[in-house]
Amino acid sequence: MRKAIMLLALAGIGVMLIYAVGEMPPMGDSGNPDKTHVAPRYLEHGEEEAGASNVVTAVRLNYRGYDTMGEVAVIFCALCAVVAVLGREKTGLSRTHMDVSRVKASVVVRTTVRFLVPVIIFFAIYIILHGEETPGGGFQGGAIIGASIILFTLAFGLPESTRKIPLKSRVPLESFAVIAFLAAGFTGILFGANFLTYIMPGLSEHAAETIRQVMMMVIEIGIGFAGGIIFTSIMFAMIREDKYELQPDSS
Amino acid sequence: MNFSRIAHNLNYVFSVVLFLLGLYTIAVKPNLVKKIMGLNIMETSVFLFMVSIGMVGSGNAPVVTEGVKPATMVNPIPQALILTGIVVAVSTTAVALSLCIRIHEHYDSLNAFEILGRDELF
Repeated sequence: MRKAIMLLALAGIGVMLIYAVGEMPPMGDSGNPDKTHVAPRYLEHGEEEAGASNVVTAVRLNYRGYDTMGEVAVIFCALCAVVAVLGREKTGLSRTHMDVSRVKASVVVRTTVRFLVPVIIFFAIYIILHGEETPGGGFQGGAIIGASIILFTLAFGLPESTRKIPLKSRVPLESFAVIAFLAAGFTGILFGANFLTYIMPGLSEHAAETIRQVMMMVIEIGIGFAGGIIFTSIMFAMIREDKYELQPDSS
Repeated sequence: MNFSRIAHNLNYVFSVVLFLLGLYTIAVKPNLVKKIMGLNIMETSVFLFMVSIGMVGSGNAPVVTEGVKPATMVNPIPQALILTGIVVAVSTTAVALSLCIRIHEHYDSLNAFEILGRDELF
C-alpha cells in the first residue's frame, strides 16, 4: 500500500520534472542564461580582482568568502554534534575488529598502507598549496588527508592510529580553519578595510599583493588541515566495536 | 513536450532519475541507514544537475592560462556552490550516522517500524 502510493506520487513528480527538462535550454551551449550575467565578469577579471588564477578558488575565497566561512563553521559544528552525541574515542579501552580478530591484516596490506599513506599525504599537501593555480584547494586536500588516515586505521586499528595522532594534538587543529578565517577577516578591519578584504589600503601595490597571497594561503592551509583532522575525529568517534566484546583468540 | 530537447539534456534526465530513486528510498525503506543513503543519492542528483548547468561543450577548466579565451571556460559559480554543498552533505551524513549509532545502542534495531513499535506508518 505504502509502496503503491509512493510510486504514484513519484510518477507524478517524475513527469513534471521531465517536462521541465524539456523546457530547459540545451545543455553545453555557451549562450545559456547562466553564462550571461556574473560568470563572464568572474572569468575575465577574477585573476586581477581576487588574486587566484583558478577562478573557482577566486569565487570561493573572495567573491563568496562569507559563504566559505559559514561552510567551515558547518563542518566544525558537525564535529561538535558528533562528539556531543557519541563522545570522544575511548583510548585504551577501544578495540577495533582488527585488534582482536583471528585474521590479522596481512603483511602485504600493512606494508602497502605504510608505504602509501605518506605519499597520499604529500599529494594532499600539493593539492592544498596549489589550489590557487590548478584545480584543487583546501577542502579537496582535507578530504584526501582524512581518507589516508582512515586507510591507516582500517589496516592498523584504532589504538595504533590514536597513538600516532593523539587527541591532544588534534583538538587545537580542529578549530584552526575557523580561527584562520576569522584572523584573516579581522586583519582587514585592523588595516582599515572591510571584513574579509584581502587588499589593504595605504600600502604599495607589491606589498598589498604579497599580503593577499599570504592570507589566502593561510586560509587554504587552515581549511585543508582542519578539514582532514575533523574527518579523522568524526571517524574515530564512530568506531564502536569494543561494545561487542570480541574475545581474543581463545582456541 | 519537446522530446529532442529531452534527448539532448541527458544529464538532467539522469539527475531526475537519481532524485526519484533517492526519494523512493527515503519514503519506503524502513532501515535508517538506507534512508541516509537515499538522502545522499538525492543530494548527488542536485550536484549533477547544477554542475551540468554550468557546462560548456568542449570547454576548458576555469583556470586562467595563456591562450584560453574566457568564453570557452565552464561556469565556475556552480562548481564553487557544489563544493559548499558537498561539505554540508558530508556534515549532515556524519551527524545522522552518529544518531543512528545511538539509536542502535538504545533499541537494538535500525528498523523504523520496530523503533516506533507498530507495523505500518499509516
